[in-house]
Amino acid sequence: MQGNASYLKRFLLSRSTSVLLVLILIVIFFAVFSPEHRFVDPDNLRVLLSLGAEFSIIALGVGMLMICGEFDLSVGSILAFCSFIFLKLFELHLSLLFIAVITIVVGGLLGLLNALITVRAGIPSFITTLGTMMFWRGLTILLSGGEQTACDVSALNTPAASYFLSFFTGQIGKFLPVQFFWFAIFAIILGVLLHRHRFGNWVYATGDNKDAARAMGINTDWVKTVCFIVVGLLCGFVACAQIGRLACFTSRTGDGWELKAVAASVVGGTSLRGGMGNMFGIFLGATTISVIENGLVVLRIPYFWTYVFFGLVILLSVLSSMYIERKQMEMHR
Amino acid sequence: MEAGNDILVRMVGIHKWFGRVYALRGVDFEVRRGETVGLIGDNGAGKSTLIKILSGYHQADQGEIYFEGQKVKIRSPRDARNLGIETVYQEQALAPNLSIARNIFMGREPVKKFGLMDRKAMDEESMKALANLGLRLRSPELPVVTLSGGERQGVAIARALHFKAKLVILDEPTVALSVKEVEEVLEFVRQLQREKVSVVFITHNLYHAFDIAERFVVMARGLKMADVKKEETSPQGLSELVLKSAFVAV
Repeated sequence: MQGNASYLKRFLLSRSTSVLLVLILIVIFFAVFSPEHRFVDPDNLRVLLSLGAEFSIIALGVGMLMICGEFDLSVGSILAFCSFIFLKLFELHLSLLFIAVITIVVGGLLGLLNALITVRAGIPSFITTLGTMMFWRGLTILLSGGEQTACDVSALNTPAASYFLSFFTGQIGKFLPVQFFWFAIFAIILGVLLHRHRFGNWVYATGDNKDAARAMGINTDWVKTVCFIVVGLLCGFVACAQIGRLACFTSRTGDGWELKAVAASVVGGTSLRGGMGNMFGIFLGATTISVIENGLVVLRIPYFWTYVFFGLVILLSVLSSMYIERKQMEMHR
Repeated sequence: MEAGNDILVRMVGIHKWFGRVYALRGVDFEVRRGETVGLIGDNGAGKSTLIKILSGYHQADQGEIYFEGQKVKIRSPRDARNLGIETVYQEQALAPNLSIARNIFMGREPVKKFGLMDRKAMDEESMKALANLGLRLRSPELPVVTLSGGERQGVAIARALHFKAKLVILDEPTVALSVKEVEEVLEFVRQLQREKVSVVFITHNLYHAFDIAERFVVMARGLKMADVKKEETSPQGLSELVLKSAFVAV
C-alpha cells in the first residue's frame, strides 16, 4: 500500500500533472464563460485544434532544443521563409510532392545553419538565432515585397492537390483536424526519442552538464545540431500545412511564435538552463498556450489582453514548478 | 625491459602550451598495473593538464603515450574510455538532474532494437555496480542532485568499475566533502585497489593521498619535481617537497 501512496504522491507532484490540471481548469473556465458556451462548439474546437496545432508542432521541437540547452528564436522567420520558398516553387507549377519536400528540407537547412553558427563559432544560440530571426524575416519581406500572395493549392483541382490537402489540412473521422493528429504524432515520436532512445539521454546530458556529457564521449555538438535541424524540419512541415489551410502566403506569418514557443516549453516544465523537461509537459504547455489564445478570442476579449494572460500563466506556472521541485527534493531526502 | 609488462601507462616527454602559457615542460609519468599514484602539487602546477591529456580532453603538443606497451594517440574522451581510462572529474562527472542509472550509462546506454534504451538492464546493472562499491541507494531513478557529495563520487566511481576501467583518474575527489564523506570516498578507492584497478589520485590534501597511495609524484610549474615511494617519505616530508618545489627557480 505504501508503494501506491508514493505513486499517488509522485503523480500529484509531477510537473505534467500540474500543467494538466491548469489546462483543464482553463478549458472549463472558457467553456462556462464563453457566450453560448461557444468555446466547446465543434466549429470552434476544430479551429482551435487545427490552428493551434500549427504553432504547437513547432513548440515541440523548440522544447526539445531547450532541454539540450539551446534556444531558437528564429522559428517564426524560418516558417515565413519556408512559406516563401513554397510560394515561389508553386508559381513554377512544380509537383506538389516535390514542393513539400523542398520546403521541409529548406527548413532543415536553416536549422542546420543555426546549429553550425552556434556550435562552430561558440556563439550563444540566443544571439545566433536572434540574428537569423531578423535575417530570414527581413529577406522574406524584401523578396516578397511584404505582400500577401494567393497560393491556392485547391485551385489546382488535381488528384495530387487533393491528396496534399487531405495530408496537411484534412480531417480524420469527419471531425478531428489532421493538423492535431500530426501534432500528437510528432509529440509521440519526439517523446519516444527523448525518453526511450539513447539519443534522448544524450540530449538531457548535453543540456544538464555539457562537460560531463563530453567526458563520457557524447558528441554534444552533434546532439545540438540534430535538435536544431529537427526544429527547422518542423517549421518546414508547418509552412506546408499553413499555406494549405490559408491558400495564401503572408510574410508576417509566425510573428512572435519564437517567444510563445519558449513560453509553451516553460509552462510545460522545461528549464531555461537545459537538462530538465519532458515531452508530455511540452505537449500540454503548447496546448495551453493555444487554448488561451483561442479562448480569449471566443470570450470576445480584445486581442491585446492575450499577452497579459500569457504573462500571468507563465509566471504562475514557473512559481508552481519551483514549489513542486522543492517538495520533490524534500521527498527524496 | 623485464619490468615493461607491469607498466600500464607511460607518458614520455609531454609538452603542452596554452597560447603563451607553457603548462607542461616535458613531463614523464607512469602508472603500474594495480598501483595507486598520488599526484600532488600546488594550483597551476600542471596536474590537471597532464591528466586531461591522458583522458583525451586535451592533446599534448609534444610527447608520446604508451598504453599496455603500445604507442597510442588519445584524441578524445571516447578514445581514452575505449582504452579503459576513466576519469572522475570533480563536479564535472555527473549530470545532476538525470537519474543515477542514466548517469552511469551516459554515452554507453545498453540498447535493444532501433537504439531504444534497455531501461530495465540500466536500472538493475546500476544498482549492482553501486552495491559492488558497498553503496546502497534507494532507487536507480533518483536524480543525482538528491545525493550527498560522497554518494555522487560513488556513482562516478561505480560507473568506472562497471565498465571495467583499467585506470581510474580521480581529480580532486575529496574537495568540498565532509570528513565522513571523505572517508566514504577513500573506501571506494580501496575497493578499486582490491579489484586491481590502477588509480591516479589528484589532490591538494596530502593526508588524503597519503592514506591510500603507494607512490607520489610532485609537480610544480609544469615540471615533475619528485617521484617517491610511500616507504621513503612521510606526510611531512611530502609537504616539504611540495613547498620546496613551488619556490625552486626554474
